[in-house]
Amino acid sequence: MTAVQPATVMSGRYQRAFTIAVVFLVAGWHLGGAGGQLLHNRADYGSFAFQCAMWLVMAVAIAVGSVLVLRGSLDWRLAWALAVVALVASTASAAASPAGQMLAVNWAWGSAGWTGVLLLHRRRFAELAWFLAVEAAATLGVQAWDGLDRIDLAGFLALLAWSTGAQIAVAGAVKALDAAADRAGTAARSEDATRERAATAEIIRAARHARWLALQESTVPLVAELASGTADPGDPQLRVRCAVQAARLRRLMAEGDELPGSLVHELHASADVAELRGVAVEIETAGTLPQVPAPARRVITDAAIAILTAARSQARITLATVTAGIAVSFVADTGSVVLLPAADQGVAIEHQQDGSMLWAEARWNNR
Amino acid sequence: MEQQVTVAIIEDHPVVTEGVASWIRSDPGRRVRLVHTARDLTGLRGESRPSADVVILDLELSGELVTAQIPGLVATGYRVVAFSGHSDPAIVMETLDSGAHAYVSKEEGSEHLVEAVLAAAGDRPYVTRSQARAMLADQRPGRPELSQQELQALLLWFQGMSKASVGRRMSISENTVRQYISRARAKYAATGRTAPSKDALLARAIEDGVIKPGEIMPYTSFARAAANRPSLGTPGQ
Repeated sequence: MTAVQPATVMSGRYQRAFTIAVVFLVAGWHLGGAGGQLLHNRADYGSFAFQCAMWLVMAVAIAVGSVLVLRGSLDWRLAWALAVVALVASTASAAASPAGQMLAVNWAWGSAGWTGVLLLHRRRFAELAWFLAVEAAATLGVQAWDGLDRIDLAGFLALLAWSTGAQIAVAGAVKALDAAADRAGTAARSEDATRERAATAEIIRAARHARWLALQESTVPLVAELASGTADPGDPQLRVRCAVQAARLRRLMAEGDELPGSLVHELHASADVAELRGVAVEIETAGTLPQVPAPARRVITDAAIAILTAARSQARITLATVTAGIAVSFVADTGSVVLLPAADQGVAIEHQQDGSMLWAEARWNNR
Repeated sequence: MEQQVTVAIIEDHPVVTEGVASWIRSDPGRRVRLVHTARDLTGLRGESRPSADVVILDLELSGELVTAQIPGLVATGYRVVAFSGHSDPAIVMETLDSGAHAYVSKEEGSEHLVEAVLAAAGDRPYVTRSQARAMLADQRPGRPELSQQELQALLLWFQGMSKASVGRRMSISENTVRQYISRARAKYAATGRTAPSKDALLARAIEDGVIKPGEIMPYTSFARAAANRPSLGTPGQ
């Protein structure tokens, strides 16, 4: 499942606002425009009741269409079924009007056209054009049946230009606004994605830089000494330095992943070098461990590297959940006191030497 | 010289049985005598079962976990020390709750198994590091409430310190460290399902002054406390 982008939400909101505007426009026209005309000319119809019935049929078609459009559940079959209902009601109303006065008292043509706009404005433009053309042709057909002179034709064209023109203009405007909102959404989306990519790249770069700095400080001089021959590989001190740097390199590689168990993972990586030296290292955990932030983990693994490098034959590392944090402890036969890192990043380190055994505990507190 | 503790080993790998037998033989005080070995539990059922104070039980026999058999063994009078390659805290807790006296992981065997057998024979608590780990990790709603001192002692013991070092760290005597750890174990014996072995352990703990009856009351329902009381009065049976 993909997360909904804010940009998509925004363009969706604009489109809904346009839909609501169209619903108000169409309903307003049918109530005020068509309804007003119907009442004003009520004495002129053959049957006022039949005209009212047709008006109601169209009102129902508009109401149902509005609900479906607003809920976004209007498929093409329903849209066209309702459009045909409006078309039939409008033609029936025109046919039932007194001959000679049909265009003067016609309320239905405009309403049917607006109903078409409501139902079809989000579909292909050609569909609305076809609907309006058929509607106009039907009205013209009724007029021709009644008798079509030049004055009637002029009236018909005037009405066609006014009402159908307005309907096409509104539908076109909604299409244009939809397209603009879409473009704005796409632009915002790609801007979001670019910003996110840039932030990720920056995090990766910073992490690489930090690792590079860490290597500059300690590993590079050692390698340089070995390469130039100034360091003696037979010197036990140098071997310890090599072991520490090897453990650090392994830890740097392990540090890439941010997993709930990353501290355990990094401790394992830090223990690898000691294990290669023949030190038996056991790592045990008690309880569900909290996630420790990377800087604090680094202090803890620094302590681990220092102790494991000094361990002669055995080391035990345990991780236990304690109140508000984690206690990572080390017990190893180091023989002598080990130089441990200073308390930092919310990690406090304590130790106790008992004969050749060293106990040390790094406690990270999340408060 | 005190009477030797008799022990049976139930273990499906002969090489492990041989290893355990050699630990028993190499005990300087010769305090334990091996009387029975078998690869399954059938020999410990029925009328002609061997008499042994303690059964060292491998929890996985022929690929099957046998924790469910522990209550039956305990009911026939054996004291059970689990000896297992598993160290999952949930399995440790299940084993202790079923009435086993102690849990010794295979890594801890050479150091702890003989001592755990001797402790079990005397109905005294014995807490290995894997047991301490399971107690520290325990989040079950019915777990007993341990004091700060008990938790600290358990934590340091789990971390790998010797009991003498734990004592130095906590500025208490080694004996008090044992007392804290034993008390934590006794509190566990007072919770969960009932078993004669748990009652015996608890009775001995009270007798030895490790724990006071009042300290275990809040964790036992009145009905169960009443049911347990008669057996508490006759320890060491």
